Amino acid sequence: MTMQHDDSTTRGAVLAAAAGTAVAASAPARAQQPRAKGPLVWLDMDQQALDDAYDQIVYAPNREQVTKRRIANSARARAAIGAPARVAYGATEIEKLDIYRTSQANAPVNIFVHGGAWRANRAADYACLAEPFVRAGAHFVILDFTNVDDAGGSLFPMVEQVRRAVGWVYKNARSFGGDGERLHLSSHSSGSHIGGCVVTHDWPKEGLPVDILKGAMLGSGMYDLKPVRLSKRSKYVKFTDEMEAALSAQRHIDKLNTPLILAHGTYETPEFQRQTRDFYAAVKAAGKPVELIVGEGYNHFEMLETLANPYGVLGRAVLAQMRLAAAA
Amino acid sequence: MAQPPPQPPRVKGPLVWLDMDQQDLDDAYDQLVYAPNRDHILKRCARNSELARERLGAPKRFAYGPTAIEALDVFTTKAANAPVSVFVHGGAWRTGLATNYAYAAEMFVDAGAHHVVLDFNNVLETGGDLMVMADQVRRAVAWVYRNAKSFGGDGERLYVCGHSSGGHLAGVLLTTDWQKDFGLPPTVIKGGVCGSGMYDLKPVRLSKRSSYVKFTDEMEERLSPQRHLDRLVAPVVLVYGTLETPEFQRQSRDFAAAVKAAGKPVTLAVMESYNHFEVMEQFGNPYSLFGRAVLEQMGLAAR
Repeated sequence: MTMQHDDSTTRGAVLAAAAGTAVAASAPARAQQPRAKGPLVWLDMDQQALDDAYDQIVYAPNREQVTKRRIANSARARAAIGAPARVAYGATEIEKLDIYRTSQANAPVNIFVHGGAWRANRAADYACLAEPFVRAGAHFVILDFTNVDDAGGSLFPMVEQVRRAVGWVYKNARSFGGDGERLHLSSHSSGSHIGGCVVTHDWPKEGLPVDILKGAMLGSGMYDLKPVRLSKRSKYVKFTDEMEAALSAQRHIDKLNTPLILAHGTYETPEFQRQTRDFYAAVKAAGKPVELIVGEGYNHFEMLETLANPYGVLGRAVLAQMRLAAAA
Repeated sequence: MAQPPPQPPRVKGPLVWLDMDQQDLDDAYDQLVYAPNRDHILKRCARNSELARERLGAPKRFAYGPTAIEALDVFTTKAANAPVSVFVHGGAWRTGLATNYAYAAEMFVDAGAHHVVLDFNNVLETGGDLMVMADQVRRAVAWVYRNAKSFGGDGERLYVCGHSSGGHLAGVLLTTDWQKDFGLPPTVIKGGVCGSGMYDLKPVRLSKRSSYVKFTDEMEERLSPQRHLDRLVAPVVLVYGTLETPEFQRQSRDFAAAVKAAGKPVTLAVMESYNHFEVMEQFGNPYSLFGRAVLEQMGLAAR
């Protein structure tokens, strides 16, 4: 093993680690050229550095490969555990959720919110996450919801839909053999941004319990939108002051009543590592229950793969949070 | 599916194996050309092995032979008289230590099996001779068969798996003449799962791997499992990924076809969009094709 451990989060260090010692096959060429740094726009970052820190492929050159196998594994998982029950939680076509049922009666439920930079992906392609939970005795519910492009650049419809889906599961859990009093949430990437907005939602305002979610694992997410707004993501997200304030979970910790697991990998972008660390520190400072999990040697997309393994970094953590053994 | 990194077009030399010239063949036996994240994954598996030991405790370590390296790690399960899985690590026959391959131990222990991880010499230490390594892993399996009871194992439910050059050695184990060489029943091994291995050494000998493996006609013949299918008595599962080198894909496919043609039980498990080392890592996931195959073969459920 020739690679050195490097705790720094510079692009060079992360890329060198991700690429191994020899052939940086798919690392973007621009990462290899030294360049003059422009004016700082966020912390120690100029515009290019910030844009890169919100562009996963700069730090995770194997994104397409990991995506392809997630989709292939999900097709196999559906063959293994059966097609899900697909149910509407709202009026529009996309407002549906897939329920992978466990055989146990009155079982706990995990609700998964997928990522994709708020722009991409669909519930069916995450079925590979369901099998460890279904076998361990939990229902696994995967949400579909609109994307930011279909929503005219607004993040509000996605957040509103996911909150409504969680409310639907709470009220209707019994209809599929679930225990609404044992609801958990897990999420990844932009799905964890949305997840953060769900766990800091004012649930009593909707007549739902303040602790509607008994636990949540937010993986590789964003919890304050200011730097995201400053990055090139603002080209497709039409940020407003109101959106930034309302949908930055870190600014609404007073409404948090769900124990959290926050996770990131050491090969994620500097900002995706910092977002999780800072949110963790803020929740902890507020005296609320939170655990930080750092996946050593995992990039953004590889982190999610560990949720599909009961012995992986995330699979283990979420099963433990739900008080389930890897055993059925 | 596997694609080498973009390179300037080059004039192809004389073919040395199938449609490959020397450079193609050398690349096809050099994992780094097709799996640039090799060290990233090896480091992760080593770290996850440490974490597994932190949770399970240190394994029991037994000597199966007189030299220091001839020892094996046993992660024991609680169940009495439990089946035993023996793992043979890879590393192009040149590197690797049992201690960095403990990352699947919890899966086995939780499912009710003992997990044995072998140490053995590497080919640089044996002066280029693979026969020494083959002899060691064979003696290790014979030791486990005879001594399983000492750690609560059932020697009559002994399974092997391996990856890469360890997949080759697992293939050698599955085609060993146990009766003649060890005075043991031919059915010592009840099943094998070989990941990303090599089963005929001829093209390997033609590749640049011969710069450190001192191949001989005898070595090539005796250690090519595909040429000894008459001795194969256990069901075999062969696993490989679609992003592996062309030769590492072909070796598994051809071995599967040969076992099938011999009328013996074989399953081919193809992992879509996994490279050589990513396949290896999935050995520790009971819901991956690799981990699932291992548990199913042993009649165990994922736990």
